Amino acid sequence: MKQIRSLIALTALCCVGFSALAQQAPPPADEPGWAKGRPKTDVAMKMAPVPAFPIPTAADKLPTAKFKLPPGFKVETWASGVLDARGLREGAKGNIFVSSLFVANKVYVLPEKGNREAKVIIDKMPLATGIEFYKGSLYVATNTKIMRYDNIEDKLGNPGEPKVLYDKLPGGTDHSWKYLRIHKEKLYYAIGAPCNICDPGEYAKIYRMNLDGSNIETVASGVRNTVGFDFDPKTGDLWFTDNGRDWLSEEFPNDELNHVTKPGQQHFGYPFCHQGNLPDTEFGWGKSCDDYAKPAALLGPHAGALGMTFYRGKMFPAKYQGAMFIARHGPWNRTKKYADVSVAWPDAKGGAKVEPFMTGFVENNAYLGRPVDFLVLKDGSMLVSDDHNGAIYRISYGK
Amino acid sequence: MRSWAAGLASCAAVLALVVISPHAAGQEKARKAGAAASSPAGASSAGVGSYAQRYAGLCAACHGANGRSDMPLTPVLAGQPSFYAITQLFLFREGRRSNEGMTAVAKTLTDDDMRGFSDFIGTLPPVPTPPQATPPDAARMDKARALALQHKCVFCHGADFSGGQQVPRIAGQREDYLKMSLRGFSSGTRPGYTQAMTAALSHIPLEDLDTLAYYVARFPDRAAAPAGK
Repeated sequence: MKQIRSLIALTALCCVGFSALAQQAPPPADEPGWAKGRPKTDVAMKMAPVPAFPIPTAADKLPTAKFKLPPGFKVETWASGVLDARGLREGAKGNIFVSSLFVANKVYVLPEKGNREAKVIIDKMPLATGIEFYKGSLYVATNTKIMRYDNIEDKLGNPGEPKVLYDKLPGGTDHSWKYLRIHKEKLYYAIGAPCNICDPGEYAKIYRMNLDGSNIETVASGVRNTVGFDFDPKTGDLWFTDNGRDWLSEEFPNDELNHVTKPGQQHFGYPFCHQGNLPDTEFGWGKSCDDYAKPAALLGPHAGALGMTFYRGKMFPAKYQGAMFIARHGPWNRTKKYADVSVAWPDAKGGAKVEPFMTGFVENNAYLGRPVDFLVLKDGSMLVSDDHNGAIYRISYGK
Repeated sequence: MRSWAAGLASCAAVLALVVISPHAAGQEKARKAGAAASSPAGASSAGVGSYAQRYAGLCAACHGANGRSDMPLTPVLAGQPSFYAITQLFLFREGRRSNEGMTAVAKTLTDDDMRGFSDFIGTLPPVPTPPQATPPDAARMDKARALALQHKCVFCHGADFSGGQQVPRIAGQREDYLKMSLRGFSSGTRPGYTQAMTAALSHIPLEDLDTLAYYVARFPDRAAAPAGK
């Protein structure tokens, strides 16, 4: 602590030298996008995004036994040793595809049955995070392009070169990785805000395109960073999680669960209004939160609400059928950590009710695991990926 | 757990919008960045002790027994966060960061070895820069101080350049190694997980990068500190 104080003194001293020289210095580097708006306090200045640990946790050291679920549910380790496991999608021939973020740079495949060892099918591809499987093809989106690997399940040993559907994504680092869904012959993806808080221009939107990459349309605007969305099987409506801006305060704003009721016409507030009722301290001037679509539910401050899926299986009790599961990955820019799998039910008024479902991801304010995405298997059990441990868990009910 | 959930559900009946209140366990303050906080499974089962011996046999010849390297272009490991150390070992093993010697070493390491070595490195306390024959060039130090603030080095490396988690300590690092690293990031030949360092440095003149290396290698500049403090 003494050391810190003397360093603060030294920094203050540095500032004196700085102001004297500022006018002749070359143009400054931009601060990293995530750091925009960060308070200059000592505690906040020590907070920064933390990547997944570069070594997967050994199977016998996973926190699986510490997870808590509602009565009747059980969780087991489904796969371990899957470094940086993020997105989950299922093929048609018993293969589970797993994507990663910037630690692994890989897409893996695991057989649904038998020896569950992850095999790398795409390697050295930075931000190979967005994946979707449809009619025999694996769709993969990085921060720069969207690709399609045809007949992937017959070519797992050598997927070959993909067909590039679109290569004009803006790239960059902040919120540039993708989450994909295909619905009614359209591919849905988002372009996240290129910063914590800024005027995002054509960023901060959910888009859709034809499956050949043509005819791009805006689905929703004012979406800071969604990496989890799905379509309600009953209504066909799109629901999505959105990560709220950082650094306003430890407790605000909340991440959001949003419901698209008028595709292409709704603006969900970013960067002007957060969590439906909190005008931005900078971009909110002259704006009213009433002019933007309200969230269906709030998901907690800096929660890192990531993957989202509607439960379409039959194994879980009736109350969970048609419910949404949401992965709260947990905050990096908040002193008190929390993470869980939550469950949400659409209500009759366009909103949603949210409850925690699977807990035990945090111990002594440190993460034991961090959930990312889901996959409901044909038997109705549900997989959950954990990039912190490089593991995949399976949740089942009864039996 | 159940009553907690039930309470929340009844709140939900009252409120149209539901806020999930965070339920993080534990009242501890945020932990210091370090191995235990970032490594999901904690220290390796073999323990740090045996890796102290293996470090002495495998690493010390180049990196120094106390982690303060005397060898040209070889980084100081003393005071590096273990998360940074394991990240670099991982990038060497994956072939993403290239250095013949380190890649050869890293290819022999198991996952447990990587944890063991990096946990041990995380225990090495910072070692101050050896006294220099000539005092630092005051004008150059002043210029670098301005550059470091202007180019936001402190945003990630900290006001004292001590780093933390995946971010390296650069205070007191060898100047030749800093120079090489900064130029490598600037040209895009030295990778990290992301292009963040390249994006931050690529438009800075090489001369200024060298000035930054000069300054950071001599940080904290004892000559500039107020006398008697």
